[in-house]
Order: sequence, then C-alpha cells, then structure tokens
Amino acid sequence: MSIRFENLSKSFGPKTVLKDVSFEVAKGEILFILGKSGMGKSVTLKHIVGVLKPDEGRVFVDGQDVTRLDDNGLADVRRKCGMVFQHPALLDSLSVYQNVSFGLRTPQFIRSQPRPLTEDEIRTRVTETLRLVNLGPDIFDRYPPEISYGMQKRVSLARTLAPGPTYLLFDEPTTGLDPITTNAVNDLVYELSRKLKVTSVVVSHDMQCALKIADRVLVLDNAGILALQTVPEIKRSREPLIRDFLAETLALLPPEERAELEAQP
Amino acid sequence: MSGSSKSNPALSGAGGLAGALFGPIAMTLHEVGGLALFIQLIVKTALTTSGNTPAILEQILSIVSRSLATVTFAGTFVGAIIVLQFNAVLMVYDAQIFLGGLNTSAIVREIGPLMITFILAGKIGAFTAAELGTMRVTEQIDAVECLGTNPVQYLVLPRFIGIVISSLILLALGIMISMVGSTFVAVVLAGMNPIQYMSTITRFVGGWTLFCGAAKSLIYGIIVGGVACHKGYTARGGARGVGTAVTQAALYMSLFVILANYITSNTLNFLYDFLGTALGWVEG
Repeated sequence: MSIRFENLSKSFGPKTVLKDVSFEVAKGEILFILGKSGMGKSVTLKHIVGVLKPDEGRVFVDGQDVTRLDDNGLADVRRKCGMVFQHPALLDSLSVYQNVSFGLRTPQFIRSQPRPLTEDEIRTRVTETLRLVNLGPDIFDRYPPEISYGMQKRVSLARTLAPGPTYLLFDEPTTGLDPITTNAVNDLVYELSRKLKVTSVVVSHDMQCALKIADRVLVLDNAGILALQTVPEIKRSREPLIRDFLAETLALLPPEERAELEAQP
Repeated sequence: MSGSSKSNPALSGAGGLAGALFGPIAMTLHEVGGLALFIQLIVKTALTTSGNTPAILEQILSIVSRSLATVTFAGTFVGAIIVLQFNAVLMVYDAQIFLGGLNTSAIVREIGPLMITFILAGKIGAFTAAELGTMRVTEQIDAVECLGTNPVQYLVLPRFIGIVISSLILLALGIMISMVGSTFVAVVLAGMNPIQYMSTITRFVGGWTLFCGAAKSLIYGIIVGGVACHKGYTARGGARGVGTAVTQAALYMSLFVILANYITSNTLNFLYDFLGTALGWVEG
C-alpha cells in the first residue's frame, strides 16, 4: 500500500504549477519534496488528502483514487493521512487539550474504532501524544495564542498523530522556527516516522534535513519532476539546482560529509 | 485592420464606457451566483449532516449578547427620530392620533429589519468574514478538513444559522426598545397621552405587518450570514486577502440588502393585494 501520483496536472489561472507529474511513495519510506518557492510542493501534498482537485491525472492512496472519492471516502482517506501544515493551524478557540483530541472525536475516527473512546481514554491518548512531541499535560488548558510558536508547531504535530495516521504529510514543518527547534522538529519527524512505522512525505526547503533523514528526495522544478533519487544519488547529482541546494547546506554539515560533497564533480 | 479598436479613440472610449457600465454589473452577478452556490452548500450540509446544535446555540448567545447594547442604543434613538419626523407632518393635518400606529408600522415593516441588519452586518458580519478569512489563510480550515471533519458543518453552519436566528431575535428586541424610545419622545416632546399614542398601534400593526418585518429580517439575515461566511471562507492570500474579504463582505452585504429590500417590499405588497383580492382579507 502506498501513495501514487499518475500524470497529475494542476494550474491556478494561467499558471501551470504541476504538469504530468507521476511518482510513487513506498510503504514506510520518508520522501522529501524539495524545490524553490512556488514550484508546487505544497500543492502536491494537498492533492494527497483531496484538499485540492487536479485538472488532470489521478492520486491513489492505498489503491483508492482520491480524485474520484465522495465526501465519506475522502474523510476515510484523511483519517489515514495526518497532515502537519506550514502554519500550526491550531483552532484558536480551543484549548491545547481540545485541539489534540479534536481528531479523536470525529465521526470517521469513531467509526474506525470498535467503540468510541471514553473521556479517560482520550485524556490518556492526548497525554501520550503530547509526550511524543516533548510536551507535558501542564499546557492542556492553555490556548494557542498563549504558547510559543515552536510549542504550537509541536501541538499541531501531536494533533496530527493522535488519531494514529498511516501516512504523515509535513508541509514545511520547520518554517518560522529557530535553528535549535528546527533540529528538534527534524529529529522528531525522523523518530516518529521510524518509531510509528508510518510513511512520510515532507515538503521542505531544508536540504540538510533531507540529507539527514530522507530515504529519497523528489525535486520539483518548472512544473515537473527534476529528480527523484536516493540521498547518495542526490549528493552526486550534477543538476545546477540541486547543486545550489547542496551548496546552501555545505557550511552546516559535519566536516566529513562536507568533504564528501565537495569531492563530487 | 488589426488592433483598430485600440488605435481608434472613439471605439476605445466606447469600450471603456461599456466596461465601466457592465463591469460592476457582471461582478455583482458573479457575486450573486457565488453566494447562491455557497448558501446551497450550507443548506445541503444542514440537511445531510447531523448539524452542530451546541455550536449554533453558542453563536446565537454570543451574537445577541454582543449586539444588544448597540441595538438598544440605535433602537431607542431611531424610534425617537421617526416620532419627531412623523409628528411634524401629522400636526399639519391635525392627525397626531395616528402617530403611534404609523411609527410602529414603519419600524416593524421597514426600519427595524434594516436597522438590525446594518448593525449585524457592521458588527457580526465583518467579524465573521475576518474570523473565517484568518482561519482560511492560516490553514485552520484545511486542518479541520484533513482531520476528517466537514468545515462547512463545523465552522460555517453555526455562524450562518446563528446570524439568521439572531437577526429575528434582535428584531423583536429592537422593536420593543424603539417602541419605548418613541413612546417616551411622543409623550415628552410631542405632548401626547401614552394611552392615546398606543391606541392606534393595533389598527396599523397586525399579523401581516409582523409577518413582513419577520420575513424581511429573515431574508436580510440570510444575506448577511451568507455573504460574511462566503467571503471569509473563500479568502486567499494572507493578511491582505483577509482585508479584501472583509471589505468585499461589507460592500456586498449592504448592496444585496438594499436590493433585497426593494424586491421583498414589492413582492410583499403584491402578495398583500393578491390576498386582499382573492380572499377579501385586509389588515387594520
């Protein structure tokens, strides 16, 4: 079971963002989608959960064609796919506890369980999920504007993890974070993907993080796929755009990795 | 001859004039279409899902409590102003006896629904467009959708129904408050006896008048709720997008309510004449 794009095209007005894009994400894989701003990275991600509809082509999640599902079918796909947005996207009117438990109270989640969770079970699940992102129950009653941006990102991640998704989709999870929190979130993405054995698709500008945790890297450029390669292949790539991305990360890499990259033609 | 229309100032002027005339009309029709489709989506959601009753009640309570002070202030003074205006005319014809009936009828049928609508549009409509717009551009609506919840059911339906029902509740409150204000002014400034002032109210204000006021208020509430939710829900492009959504919501709420006022007034008058002819039914 996997995620598969077949000849997907999407335009917004006169601008073609994706044209005839096809690729597959294997089960348990961490796929990074890299590219310059406006190259359709987030648009690609939003097609997986059916938030955007393609102009042409199809997207399959576990063999189901997301582009042709009705509302109930889409809701079932969305229950399997946990999406972490660029913004924390927490509901301001709900407390941290209510935000994290939100997905545990939806009809789709309740239908997927043998019986609805009791409030005690929900509380336990919320506590455990917040612990995964290194937060404690002391912030249960705080509202999103009352906690830092970094904490909001972590709460957002916890909200996504709480219903136990099969796929994790990250839309620039480290945007707006300081370098220390960025590293912490990147480590978290890796740990969660490996620990929970989920398939992850990460949209990012962060080549350093991609080199560190990705299994494969997909580079989008000019509405199409420039490269879809493993990390060692990406490191050897001679594509100017990929070399530019790699050059940006050189200073941040450990000496031995820097030497390895600099040795590439 | 290619490009002749560009080079001919007369044609270019005509094109510009046509654009200036028909551009806003086309834009308004486009907005009416978008609003109709959005209200259809809300109605479909209301009919095909379990709704969201607790959130609807919460919205009604919140809207009424936030608007009450403004409605009280506006209701008192609008009632008072109309008494002063009517009284000046009625005194000329020595017909002050009709002041209470005329004043109350005008407030119930026309001024009350409009006053409540403009208060709702300015205070709650703009707030709703900004709130939903911010939720849209910060991906909160997308997040709700991705968590398997219908955002129209969860976020839009309670706000829309909350505004529609609140407009009726606020109309009833506004009418009562303006009656108190107008009676006070009639007694203190126009020197009328309160019993005399109220004696003609039942002659002018019956079931049909109340129905007209309620029907208009309901329609205006649907317009305010629909436009505010539609503009907020479809906002795009960061803070500027939210600003545009709120500005457009304020503009179209006012335009559509004025248009709806003309259409509903004509329709209700026609219906009254038809009922009078067909059934011999006359109010008052």
